[in-house]
Amino acid sequence: MQVPINTRINQRSYELEVDARTTLLDLLREKLDLKSVHRGCEEGECGACTVLLNGKPVCSCLVLSPQINGAEVLTVEGLMKDGNMHPLMKAFVENYAMQCGYCTPGMVMTSYYLINTWDDFTEEDIRKGLEGNLCRCTGYTNIIRAIREAKKYKDAGYWW
Amino acid sequence: MQTREEKIISGKGIYVDDIVMPNMAYCLFVGSAYAHANIKKIDLQQALSLPGIITILTGKEILEAMNPLPPTFGSSDWLWRTPIVYPLVLDKARFYGEPIAAVIAESPDIASDAANLIDIEYDPLEPVVDLTKAIEPASPLLYEEWGDNIQIHKKVEFGDVQRSFEEADRILKVSWRENRASGFPIEARGCVAFYDKMTEILNVWSSTQSPSRAQYYLAQALKLPMTRVKITMADVGGGFGNKLNWWKETVVALAAILIGRPVKWVESKREFIVTGPHQRDVLWKGEVAIKNDGTILGIRAKLLVDLGVESTCREGAARTLAPACQAIPNAYHLKGLEVDVYGVVTNKSFYGAYRGFGKDKGIKFMERIVQMTARELHMDPVQIRKKNLIQKEEFPYEQITGYVYDSGNYEALLEKALELGNLPYWEKEKQKRREQDRYLGVGIGITVEPAGLGTSTNALTMARVRMTPDGLIEVEAGQPDIGQGSTITRRKIAADILGVKMDHIEVKRDNSDMVFTAVFSSRGAVYPTSALAKAAKLLRQRIISFAADFLNESPSNLDIKESVVYSKTSHKEITFKELARKAYFSPGPIGLGTEKKINHEVVLDVSATWFSPNTARHPKSTYTTFCAGVDLVVLEIDKHTGQVNILKYVHVHDAGTVIDENIVDGQIYGGIMQGIGEALYEELVYNQKGELLSNSYSDYLIPTTLDSPNVIVEHLCTPSPFTELGTKGMGEAPIIGSKVAVINAIEDALSPLGIVVTESPATPERIRGWILESKEEVE
Ligand code: FES
Ligand code: FES
Repeated sequence: MQVPINTRINQRSYELEVDARTTLLDLLREKLDLKSVHRGCEEGECGACTVLLNGKPVCSCLVLSPQINGAEVLTVEGLMKDGNMHPLMKAFVENYAMQCGYCTPGMVMTSYYLINTWDDFTEEDIRKGLEGNLCRCTGYTNIIRAIREAKKYKDAGYWW
Repeated sequence: MQTREEKIISGKGIYVDDIVMPNMAYCLFVGSAYAHANIKKIDLQQALSLPGIITILTGKEILEAMNPLPPTFGSSDWLWRTPIVYPLVLDKARFYGEPIAAVIAESPDIASDAANLIDIEYDPLEPVVDLTKAIEPASPLLYEEWGDNIQIHKKVEFGDVQRSFEEADRILKVSWRENRASGFPIEARGCVAFYDKMTEILNVWSSTQSPSRAQYYLAQALKLPMTRVKITMADVGGGFGNKLNWWKETVVALAAILIGRPVKWVESKREFIVTGPHQRDVLWKGEVAIKNDGTILGIRAKLLVDLGVESTCREGAARTLAPACQAIPNAYHLKGLEVDVYGVVTNKSFYGAYRGFGKDKGIKFMERIVQMTARELHMDPVQIRKKNLIQKEEFPYEQITGYVYDSGNYEALLEKALELGNLPYWEKEKQKRREQDRYLGVGIGITVEPAGLGTSTNALTMARVRMTPDGLIEVEAGQPDIGQGSTITRRKIAADILGVKMDHIEVKRDNSDMVFTAVFSSRGAVYPTSALAKAAKLLRQRIISFAADFLNESPSNLDIKESVVYSKTSHKEITFKELARKAYFSPGPIGLGTEKKINHEVVLDVSATWFSPNTARHPKSTYTTFCAGVDLVVLEIDKHTGQVNILKYVHVHDAGTVIDENIVDGQIYGGIMQGIGEALYEELVYNQKGELLSNSYSDYLIPTTLDSPNVIVEHLCTPSPFTELGTKGMGEAPIIGSKVAVINAIEDALSPLGIVVTESPATPERIRGWILESKEEVE
């Protein structure tokens, strides 16, 4: 069944006809070519597909396309500005917070939400906040380090 | 220039699943519902009539077009039985999920609808699921023609076992079981195959760890000359050995040829786990000859390994049994060792590579032996280790098993770990926490990691470095980047040696055109690095000699910095850009000295090969370098829940010369996390029917941020005399040492209860069970 939806994805408005069964993951990847959104488990277990829906992280593999009607979606592509990496992404690269990179865009989106939501946070907070994003490569150490460094960027006003 | 990391984090990485080609079809495999069953009938009619179905392949269809999967490279002294294996079941399914049909459709959804319409009639057979029962004479057989379920049996003996037992004060009996586990990176396996009519080449873009191996297997299986097969690596979402196997891909490629269209296959996470490479699953029983002063003299052991359905054709991991035995002596003097090894087939998915590749098994066994010896003698495990450690003056050290250790200072590593661990403090804590029903324990794991395998194609490494006519440098060295940082390190090596700016270096994406390219055996800092360093040094010489001619200077007077060749005594200099322009265009070779022209050294393009001097001189030392790590963990166990909480984690490492400490640390953190996961949670559980129960991330529990400890990492450095830059292969020690250190710590914590840990993972349920069975009353 085709359903018409109105939505904003990465600061752009779309009027789309979507199949009611299509997941947000498939819509973003296959229809809109937003390939930062990675297919991991498709069961809500790994977080590789994380995007922000109305500012909150969700597993896009668990969201059906009609659910984004009237909503706002943000992916890593939308975090970039004029082709430049967001300071958070820069912090990831600088701190060796990615190895294979498959979990990375999802990690970035969840971290972006966490940093923006909390005025201040502890390492324990980061660990709890990122629990749903699995990484098999890094042991998380450098990811946590990157988030701390990103916070410094934010505090210094280098952020968007 | 955008780096690999910047590209990927911006969402511009191209993993297999991101590849889209015009007119592309999709492949989906349909797996067996039974672990062991004869296939009576496959009815495709309904499925084929579904709109959007292009074709469906079964064993029958592929039989004509394909050879059986070629046995992977073996070794002359480990001979195993090789079954005839096709990637789709011919008549009998031998594991739950084994592919029976491949559906090729216009979309993944249509393929999955069709899969549900395929009607398969089975004649179920009794499955073989228990490792020890599988070798009993009454067991059902996987391969009737073998007469038993043993794919490989071999007894190996090193040193003087008999004498070591004669000299012993006592004999200690040990038993140690590691259950089935594997890597399962977040990205599963996949490929896109396309037969190009113009070049007549079968192109495959793949998530493989080795395009070279893939090319060989695919060509063999599809009866094609290798020159007609080209494999290119997509970005790869993690491997850890799990993407070395190559078998389903042959069906995808065949389908692409048959239908004349690109075909894509990307498996689901469940398919990856159910039909993926499995590892570990070993049972050791042994006797250890020890002296009352703590000297470990010798070991006699029997090793049973559950190879699942087989491990020679889908992948050659049966060979992991060799390093499993050879790595046992680890960091210690040992007089004699005997292992009776059985590689057993059962109705489970195939045995494949996973970080550790066999050497892990022997090392963990040894580190358990050290702990059990200490307990037997009422001594501190640290004392036992010190008593038996190889000393720093003894290198190069020829181990009884034939490995020649390049360099090291194991005692210094251990001392450093102890210092950082601050054990006296934790000893005091032990008592305090006991009163709150928490058991605190300390565990250590020492790992001497054999790295850089030098047998067969593994060691055929070549590097090419050239200056292109625009004055930039292109690097090729068979070391694909699957996240282990080889793009950064290759660039750094070339930049360092050549004196070039980092962003003037382009690292070529790996494909099967190169001599041999693969990620495994922690070979990066051994083979490709050495070949690359050699080639870069040669190119440097040539650049300087060209510049000498153009500047009319003596070569010894010249140096390079920031892509400029300059004279150390005059103001003369020439940029790489200018040098390249002169060398390639004008004056070109004419402007070079006579000597160079006579020697044909007129091109700024150099290749070099490299082979391990260690393996060359000592063929039994199949590995070249031996980095070392000491893991020290302090943890506590909640008596009531069996939950383990890591309080302190120290890792001291010696990988010789380090090219990029951040990359090395990343390998350490990641490896430790995987080892902890394996020690505490990760387990592939089959039920009596041979169905895999832990077939998703919700049952196969890989560690989350909440499980990751704060790791204190410290580096010591004893450069390897055997590699070009003193580097040592690394990346596997942390997964080995962490697992056994955690197990040793758990045993230490539970020692007041008299518990000996004989099985991993030590899940909360298991720990709880041990506590309940233990001597002490638990309320
Ligand atoms: S792909 Fe969505 S959570 Fe794994
Ligand atoms: S970087 Fe590979 S999964 Fe996180």
